[in-house]
Amino acid sequence: MQTQMLTQMLDKAALTRSGCLIGLDPAKAMESLRARATPIAVLLAIFAAVTIILRVAGPLLDLDHAAFGYLIPVIIAATRWGIGLAVFSGLAGLAASAYFFYPPIYDLHITKPAHVADLVLFVVVAIVTGQLANQVRSHVQAARRSEEEMKALYFFSRRLAVASGPADIEAAIEHHLSAITGCRIVLYAAGARQARPETSPQWRDTPEPVRQAILAILDHGAADPEAPLFDKDTGASWLIRILAQRTSRVGILAIELGQPTEQDKETIRRHINAAVAEAGATLERINVAHAISEAKVRSEAETLRAALIGSVSHELRTPLASILGSASVLAQAPSIARDARLSSLVDIIHSETGRLNNDIQNLLDASRISGPGVHAHLTWAEPPDVVNAALSRLRQRLMGHQVVLRMAEDLPLMRIDPVLVEQALSQVIDNAAKYSPVGSTITVTAASTGGVVEITVRDEGAGLTTEERARLFERFYRGVRHGSEIKGSGLGLWIARAFVRVSGGELEATSAGAGCGTTITMTLPAPQPGQADSAEADDE
Amino acid sequence: MNRPSPIVLVIDDEVQIRRFLRAGFELEGFIVREAATGSDGIKASTLNPVDLVIVDLELPDGDGADVVERLRTWSTVPIIVLSVRASEAEKVRLLELGADDYVVKPFGMAELLARARAALRRHVHGAASEPTVRSGRLAVDLATRAVSLDGVPLQLSPKEYRLMQTLAQHAGNVVTHQHLLKAVWGVTHVEDAHYLRILVRKLRRKIESDPTQPRILLTELGVGYRLVGEPASQSRPKL
Repeated sequence: MQTQMLTQMLDKAALTRSGCLIGLDPAKAMESLRARATPIAVLLAIFAAVTIILRVAGPLLDLDHAAFGYLIPVIIAATRWGIGLAVFSGLAGLAASAYFFYPPIYDLHITKPAHVADLVLFVVVAIVTGQLANQVRSHVQAARRSEEEMKALYFFSRRLAVASGPADIEAAIEHHLSAITGCRIVLYAAGARQARPETSPQWRDTPEPVRQAILAILDHGAADPEAPLFDKDTGASWLIRILAQRTSRVGILAIELGQPTEQDKETIRRHINAAVAEAGATLERINVAHAISEAKVRSEAETLRAALIGSVSHELRTPLASILGSASVLAQAPSIARDARLSSLVDIIHSETGRLNNDIQNLLDASRISGPGVHAHLTWAEPPDVVNAALSRLRQRLMGHQVVLRMAEDLPLMRIDPVLVEQALSQVIDNAAKYSPVGSTITVTAASTGGVVEITVRDEGAGLTTEERARLFERFYRGVRHGSEIKGSGLGLWIARAFVRVSGGELEATSAGAGCGTTITMTLPAPQPGQADSAEADDE
Repeated sequence: MNRPSPIVLVIDDEVQIRRFLRAGFELEGFIVREAATGSDGIKASTLNPVDLVIVDLELPDGDGADVVERLRTWSTVPIIVLSVRASEAEKVRLLELGADDYVVKPFGMAELLARARAALRRHVHGAASEPTVRSGRLAVDLATRAVSLDGVPLQLSPKEYRLMQTLAQHAGNVVTHQHLLKAVWGVTHVEDAHYLRILVRKLRRKIESDPTQPRILLTELGVGYRLVGEPASQSRPKL
């Protein structure tokens, strides 16, 4: 996201590099000339039209006060182009009336006092309507401008809200200010996270005099230089401005002005000073300092979590590996193998270590799921392979149960992450063993219907009440009925469902009620591989 | 065995792990050498020849994968990696680098010994070029390309035989999907996992008594396949 913003910014910079705010190159000068000439041409056309209509229609309708026809261009000019052109239209209307309509015609002189009164009245009406129309125009413009500003601000605050770290927020500020000023802006966020500007990827592209000024502000508390700095290499001018809220400094802005003339420089400088002051107030209003610290906490928590997972996985599992390995050596030692009591103790060490290892694995899986997420490596897998792997992992666990395995012939290949699905299935079978009495039967079936493979695990155990069924897959949910007597963290099925879902499958539970056993159904995608592909797999 | 005791080099920074590995291997008649870091391990294996290297993935002076890679530049000694990582991609990478097999911590000694014996046997086989590989009821004669089940000859298609041959050459140790795809179809098909699934299914129908409960051609989920090592009786010891 950040790189995208950066490229947007750089595109913008490229657009404005040749000149900031004010057009300086010939093409832009032509553009502005055209913009100024068009209204005059339009007005003259309207004058011509009005004059012709009045000249033709006047005698027919016996119009006395022809001058008032010229109010039309006055009002148009005032509403569209402002007071200047309105005054121009008024004067032109006055002249045209005197010349074309009041005797002597084709002469600017006026002889009749009534006509003079007419024209005075025209002037008064023109001024009043022009004024009113101009007011309407500026209101509309103000409304439009504030709408634009609101839009920009809304966009800006949206970006702040989803920012995942201070860097995102800094990029948002850069983007916002670039949009307001039309210049390329680099923000060195010295105030927010004490990051040295040297670490910024854009430091390298910042010219030497600008770097020195920034370091002077940072290291010696210098004020920002009022005048633009000149970069000899590119010929561009840069402005340095401290971006501050009332209480704290947000950062230092390096603003590239392009290559303006001396005169333009002054205008741009004033404009930017105003924009930076305004931005400071805006940041204050939307509490950007708070947003930055929030984002910082978020990203630190994420780093901490990742580090913790890494060290937990190493620190807890290494001693477990020593314990389990040592127990397995003891189990083989002839002197212990001969003594049933001793070898049963070794068995306890072994099975309890295994349980601890599972619990650690569950915690790690849980933090993986709620943290950065689990990524599935989808590939083709044989349904029996996945089922067998889960059963063989749980061999010891299932020793007290009858396991019935029913797998249909010729099941299609599944398109899943076999490792995650096997872990999920192990959780489900482990749960079935946990919540059903010793000696009861656990039935695992695999069948296929229309593009999916269904693996079901049915036990003859505690079953599910309506409430338990509804909440079975919630994180940390443990049925009240078993809370004390059966150990567990309440993570197993939640993890299982997450793992199945990233493989594109679904996990569901059904039960006829408390005491009537539970059936967990895992639905996994088994799309048809391309026809050509299966032919290729055939032998020659 | 009348051969001299095999020498195993254990490279692991955890002293407790080294201790139980020493005890476990010595109980089975191995001679054990230890190294706490990757560079010590490499030094030790150059000074005195060893028959087997057990290397931990996480070493103080770098990744165990580096040790595998460096050892493989000059030695064909069997290497088994100890990994705490559950990441299948990591295991595949190590096997592609030249490790013979892996066990995931925590593991039982019996599991490691089975892997170690298989790797040693393959190494010895390679040297003595003994042509027949046995796996349970199955016998694969790599010289005559004859495959038989309980002494009854089996008809395998050319692709099935190439798959069988590759697995038999590594009997007891895992062979990655990529390795098998390359061996059977060539380099252009290394991404086409379902060719391999279909071929394995066909082969299992010929060699397994219950193809949905394979006993000879086993799956290592997310990594590859493994032909169980001879003699079948030791495949399921306690723990």
